[in-house]
Amino acid sequence: MATSSLPGAKFVDPAVLSRIGNLELIAKTVVDGLINGTHRSPFFGASVDFAEHRGYVAGDDIRRVDWRVYARTDKYYIKEFEADSNANFSVLLDVSKSMGFGAKMSKLDYGKTLAACLAYLANAQRDRVGLITFDHEVIDHVPPSAKHLDVVLHTLDKAKPARPGELVGPLRKLAEHFGRRGIIVVISDFYAEPEEIFHAIGPIVHRGNDVVLFHVMDPQEIDFSFSDPSSFEDMESGDQMPIVPTKLAADYRSLIQAHIDTLTKKAAQQPVDYMLLNTSMPLDFALFRFLSMRQRLSRTR
Amino acid sequence: MSFLTPLFLLGLAALAVPVLIHLTQKERKSVVAFPSLMFLRKIPYESVQRRRIRDWLLLALRLAAIALIVTAFARPFLRGSDLAAAPGGARDIVVLLDRSYSMGYADSWSRAQTAAAQALSSATPSDRISLVLFADTAEVALRSTPDRSRAIAEINAATPGPGSTKYGPALKLAGSLLAESLLPRKEVIIVSDFQRGGWQPDDTLRLPGGTTVTAAVVEGAQGASLALTPVALLRTRDAQHERVTVTAGVLNRTAEAANNVPIVLETDGRVVQDLTISVAPNASASISFAPLTLTTPNTRAVVRLGTAGGSPVDALPRDNVFNFVLTPSAPVPVMAVSQGPAEATLYLSRALAIGEAPHFDATLQSPDALAGDAMNRARVILLNDVAISDAVAAKLVTFVEGGGGLLMATGQRASWPSARAAWLPAAIGQTVDRTRGAAARLSGMDYGHAIFEPFRAPRSGDFSTARFYSYRALTAAKDASVIARFDTGEPALVERAAGRGRVIVFASTLDLNWSDLALKPMFLPFVHQLGRHLSGFKEQPAWLTIGQVLDVDAAEIAAGATSGSAARAAAGRAILTPSGQRRDLQTPAAAAPGASVPAAALELTEQGFYEVRGSGRDAGPTIVAASNVSLAESNLDRMDPKELVAAVTGNGPSGSTSGQDVLPDEAQELAQRVWWYLLFAGILLLIAETVLAHRYSRVRT
Repeated sequence: MATSSLPGAKFVDPAVLSRIGNLELIAKTVVDGLINGTHRSPFFGASVDFAEHRGYVAGDDIRRVDWRVYARTDKYYIKEFEADSNANFSVLLDVSKSMGFGAKMSKLDYGKTLAACLAYLANAQRDRVGLITFDHEVIDHVPPSAKHLDVVLHTLDKAKPARPGELVGPLRKLAEHFGRRGIIVVISDFYAEPEEIFHAIGPIVHRGNDVVLFHVMDPQEIDFSFSDPSSFEDMESGDQMPIVPTKLAADYRSLIQAHIDTLTKKAAQQPVDYMLLNTSMPLDFALFRFLSMRQRLSRTR
Repeated sequence: MSFLTPLFLLGLAALAVPVLIHLTQKERKSVVAFPSLMFLRKIPYESVQRRRIRDWLLLALRLAAIALIVTAFARPFLRGSDLAAAPGGARDIVVLLDRSYSMGYADSWSRAQTAAAQALSSATPSDRISLVLFADTAEVALRSTPDRSRAIAEINAATPGPGSTKYGPALKLAGSLLAESLLPRKEVIIVSDFQRGGWQPDDTLRLPGGTTVTAAVVEGAQGASLALTPVALLRTRDAQHERVTVTAGVLNRTAEAANNVPIVLETDGRVVQDLTISVAPNASASISFAPLTLTTPNTRAVVRLGTAGGSPVDALPRDNVFNFVLTPSAPVPVMAVSQGPAEATLYLSRALAIGEAPHFDATLQSPDALAGDAMNRARVILLNDVAISDAVAAKLVTFVEGGGGLLMATGQRASWPSARAAWLPAAIGQTVDRTRGAAARLSGMDYGHAIFEPFRAPRSGDFSTARFYSYRALTAAKDASVIARFDTGEPALVERAAGRGRVIVFASTLDLNWSDLALKPMFLPFVHQLGRHLSGFKEQPAWLTIGQVLDVDAAEIAAGATSGSAARAAAGRAILTPSGQRRDLQTPAAAAPGASVPAAALELTEQGFYEVRGSGRDAGPTIVAASNVSLAESNLDRMDPKELVAAVTGNGPSGSTSGQDVLPDEAQELAQRVWWYLLFAGILLLIAETVLAHRYSRVRT
């Protein structure tokens, strides 16, 4: 197990995780290790969190009267909680061909592991977990259910990058699908114009869903560390383009950074949680950063 | 263009390797799968084509250098047929001019000179001309010169010789001259009367590939052609003189009868007899002259057709004369030395007295005579059971090494100084007594040796019948040869050459004291063979043919030379040739001290009488040798020149050699040495490439 420089936490190298075939075991390893290591509250806004007291008004369920406060004050107070029900937790995983890219570990493998971890975590919270895999159309759909973790993990396991992808179409289609509010996690490499992405996400967000975008990128996609003049082939379209990397690297890096910046900026505007994940980054470290960010954001909301 | 080692050309495939790598490997590696070209497409496009070759000149230089070097290793050469196909180019012309004596027929020689000069008329200054004069041998009169006038001058200066025609040596010489030639065209011009007798078909005789052969036939030989055949000499001897009858033969090769042709016998320049002879067409006839009494040695005798000073009987005079030498047969002086009574050498002296060829002049001496000068008058010394003192041994050593022969028959008294024991071919040991039990017998004879060679055939003498009751044990020296052994395996007869002479040790005596060999029938021829072998006697012919070699030493022995005179004569001999030139005869030296000396030899190249004379006082006998032209050359029958041309070119009568011949490929390649130039050019290109590449890199940096 590799360690990170972050104090108080041990993170697992994605390459090591990739050697564990069982997604549930991976998820358990990551999540339990994370929880034991941090001793933090594991999830966002669950029903066990006390919010405030308020005065009893006619019509309130007397089961919610805080009798201890009545004993001390001889007044009726109702106990309010942060959340009062289990949420639907759905993972939208992009399984297009471009997700198959990666030197040590493909983006899809990283995304699958991430999805498994999140599903495991949510299931531990008694949330209903579901999964949708898509490329240019929806491939597999596991409806959210408290009993669907195994199905989710199995579906994740069999997901392969086989066809060209198209992000906007499936997202728009799925926006109509999420009738009940829930948590929607989109795991993709987001090779589309930011405007189109958020245009497609907008309906989902407007329906009251809590949307989280995980932008999975390989280090080579970010650094563009190629050296030999080569013909570059688009994994999805098959188009080829002669490239001298040394001449184009700087331009490419600035373009990809601008793309990330735009995504970050627009996510903040929606509001949508956005997080860039480098596949060389330990998965639990990524989770830890994400959970930290959620916690921080939930306090500000 | 052909290649000696064509497998090296596979190396040319290496030229394609960089290109193939560029086309295949590069293409395969150039494709990189990338998730999306979305961002790359947004970057302003820059042409990123496959790396192109910028320095075509450098590439061309490198490829050319490699190709040249590889080709050089493949050893290219032009086959003869390729060369022949070349329409132009300089020629290497070899003129073969027949100078045999048949070319002296009438005006044949002048017409041959004209024909040779005409053949060279087409020669250009870029051509090279060689002139070979040939008869039975060939010599290069002029080697590879561009100067045509010089070649014509050489042709005009040449004269026909006494030799007979032989085309083989001349064509071989021409082939070797042309094989060294680097010129693209090769030509052989044969100027000859093309006598059939001069051509012996020889499959190995081929001219280099591409050689053009032109035959310039010299016509002639019309009319009478008579030739003298070798004479027959019949010798008779009476009590005082030796007489010889000369029988001459005349050959008429024409279809016309020759009637009453004068024929003359001359001795020492004087006409002895004058007869006439008639010969039928295409027939021969013989005539005998009256017997001559031989009184003086080396009488120069000549049989001549036609009268001296008269008109010649035909247009070819050389074969109308036949020279020979008449010499009374000279005895071989033999000195037989015995210690005992005269009876001891009775059998030996009687056996020597019977000899005719050679006739042995045997003198019986006591051992005391060895101390005097008698030894110098002998050619062979036979010591029968004699004790030799050191002083006598020294004289004997000098005698033998000067050319004498020594037989030492060892009996009870025989001894040899121990200080000189190493000189004898065998060490003389103790007496072996075989009087009890079975007597010893001779068994292991070396029938390949000259002494025993006449006894080789069955029923030619059985040495095993002779019984030896005693003999001396001999231990043969390492370099001596044992030519006979006893049945016990011990040496009986041991020989070794010493200087110019020979010495033989016999383990028993030549009398009846120890053996009964002298009573056996083979004793007489055995003694004669011993004397003949020890004296080095060879019967000398009365004449020789041009091209043969005279063994001067053997001729001197036959003329009665003694060991002393032979030794002195070897110090210096002068030769007087038929043309009157005087020169010294080169005496060959021994290859190593103590080894036998090669015989002095004289090659006869002229028609007439050679005289060999020792220089200084007591120079030994003078030798006269008669030399005649070959009778075969007098046969003027002509062959078809196309036959000869076809044989040497292997390409029918067209006159030029075919490609499949001829000189082996290795020889052609060696002669042309194209590889050397290719390799040199390749290295030059590499140097140029290095300089150019260096300059380019400096410009770019």
